[in-house]
Amino acid sequence: MAKSEQDLNGLRPAKIKEILDSLRDNPDVLKAVTGPWKSRVVWQKGFKAKAYMRQHAVQMDEPEGLDAQDSAASAHEQLLSAMGSCLTVGFVLNATLRGVQIHDLEIALEGNFDNILKWAGHSKEGNPGYPTVKAKCFVRADASDAVLREIWKAAVDGSPVVQTVARPTNIVTEFEQVGA
Amino acid sequence: MSKPKLFPVTVVGSWPRPTWLIQALRKRQNGEITQAEFNQIADDAVLSAIKYQEDAGVDIVSDGEVRRDNFYSFVVEKLSGIRLMKLSELMDYVKDRAGFEEILRASDVPSFAIKSPIAIDKIKERDGISLDEYDFLKNHTNRQTKIPLPGPYLLTRSAWFEGLSDKAYPTREDLAKDVVQILRNEVLELKKRGCDFIQFDEPSLTQVVYGDEAEQTFMCAALGTRRDPSEELEFAVRLMNETVEGIEGVRYGVHICRGNWSRKEDVLLKGNYGPLLPWLMRMNIHQLVLEMATPRAGEIDVFKEYRNQKELGLGVSNPRNDTIEDPKQIVQSVRKLLEFYDADKIMLNPDCGFGTFAERCVNTPDIAYKKLQSISRAAEMLRKEYT
Repeated sequence: MAKSEQDLNGLRPAKIKEILDSLRDNPDVLKAVTGPWKSRVVWQKGFKAKAYMRQHAVQMDEPEGLDAQDSAASAHEQLLSAMGSCLTVGFVLNATLRGVQIHDLEIALEGNFDNILKWAGHSKEGNPGYPTVKAKCFVRADASDAVLREIWKAAVDGSPVVQTVARPTNIVTEFEQVGA
Repeated sequence: MSKPKLFPVTVVGSWPRPTWLIQALRKRQNGEITQAEFNQIADDAVLSAIKYQEDAGVDIVSDGEVRRDNFYSFVVEKLSGIRLMKLSELMDYVKDRAGFEEILRASDVPSFAIKSPIAIDKIKERDGISLDEYDFLKNHTNRQTKIPLPGPYLLTRSAWFEGLSDKAYPTREDLAKDVVQILRNEVLELKKRGCDFIQFDEPSLTQVVYGDEAEQTFMCAALGTRRDPSEELEFAVRLMNETVEGIEGVRYGVHICRGNWSRKEDVLLKGNYGPLLPWLMRMNIHQLVLEMATPRAGEIDVFKEYRNQKELGLGVSNPRNDTIEDPKQIVQSVRKLLEFYDADKIMLNPDCGFGTFAERCVNTPDIAYKKLQSISRAAEMLRKEYT
C-alpha cells in the first residue's frame, strides 16, 4: 500500500509534510497561506466576465438560454467546480500523507437553486442560491473502503471552499461609482 | 449416433474476478508485470471459473473471460494500433460533453470507469485475440467450449473516435475492413482448433434502437459516433456476414443485452427485441443469445413472427441480483417460448455475464454458481418432459 517517499500521486510526501509542518511552526508561512486571497472580475460584454487571480485568468459566461453566448461555464457552475477541485486537493493531500496510491479520482457535484425568481427580480423572498449541494466522490485507490472514507471525510471537513459555502460567511460589500 | 441433448445450458461468458486477479490486472495494465506473468496468475482464476460452471451442470463452458478487463477492451492487449482510453481522457474530444454528463449522472458512474479501445493507428493482430484463452480452456475441460468475441460492429463503433482515429482511418468504414479481416482470421483459427461456439457480443445494437438519440454516447459499449438507426443496423448486418462468410463448422451466436454495468435496473436500457429482429434474422449466424429474465427485455412474443428461424439462447436468470431463480419458474418461462418454438432450437443461459467489467462485477461466484445450478435443474426438468 505505502509507496516510497520519492513520489506518490504526483507529489512528494516528504516535501508535503515539511510544508504542512512549516505552516504550524512558522508564523510567516501561516500568514502567507492564510491570505488575503484575491480575485478581480472584469465585465467584458453581455453576461461575460473574466476573473483574474494572481497570474491566472478564468472566463465566465452564461448559457444561451439567457441570451448569452455560452462561451464559458457560468459562475454558479464554477462554484461547484471550485468545491470539487478543493475536495480533490484535500483528498489527494490526505491520501498522500497516509501513503495511499490513487489511481483515479472524480467528484460529481450538483445543486438546484432554491428560488431563482429572486435573481430574476420576480420575488423578494427566499434564497436564489443552492440550499443543498451534492458531492459524490468516485475513487479507485490502493486502500480499504474504511481508510478511503476517512480520507474523504478529512477532505470535506478540511476544505476551505466547501466550509466557506457550508457555513454562514460574512460578505462585506462596498460600492463606488467611478467618474460621476 | 445419439440425438443432441435438448436445452443445453451455457453461459454468456464472464465470471466474477477475485480481488487478487484485479490487482494483477492493474499491474499488467501499468506495465509492472508482463502478459505472460499475468496469464500465469490468471490461470488459477480460469480453472476456478471452469470448475464452478462444470459443477453447476453447464454444458458449454467459457473460460470466464477473467483474463479480460472487459468483453471488448481487452483487444488492446492483443492488437497493435489500438489503445485503451478512459472516457475521462476522451472528454476533450467529445462533441457533446453536456450530453455525456447527463448519461454519466443517470448511470451513476465516473468517467474514469468507462474505457474503450480506441484506434490510434492501423490495427494489426499479433497472436490472435482469444487463441491463448481458447487453448487453455480446451486443455482443462471436456465440455463443449464457447469463446465470446467482440462483434465487428461493436469493435468498429467503439474504436473509431473522431479526432483520434481519423489519421489512420479517415472513416469508420475504413476501420471496419481491418476489424472484419482480423475477426475472420480469429474465427478460422478457432474453428481449426476445435472451438464449438463463437459468440459475438453486440450490445451496442440495443443502444442503436433504444439509446439516447445523441450522435455520441457510451451506453452499452457504444462509444463513438452513430448514424441513423437503420443505417447502423444495416452496417452491423453487413459486417457480421462478411466476418463469417464461407466459414462453416462452428456455431455462431450474437449476444445482445441492454447493459450489464450496474445492479440498478432503472439505469439500464429497456425495450423488446422487436425492432432489431428484421436485421438480426439477416445475419448468417445460428443463435441469438438473449437477455429475457428482466422485464426490461419485453415479451418473448416478438419472436413468434420469426419462429425457428434462429436458435435462441434464452436468458432465464438475471445476473445482477442475489435471487436464485426457482427452476420451476425457469421452466415456466421456457414453456412460453415452446408454445411457438421447437425444443431443439433453444439453449438456456443467464441474461449476461456475471462479471462483464472486471472492476464492476455484478455478482459473486457463489451466487453465480447457484444461479447456473438452477438453470441446469430447469433444463433437466424440461428434458424429461420434451425428450
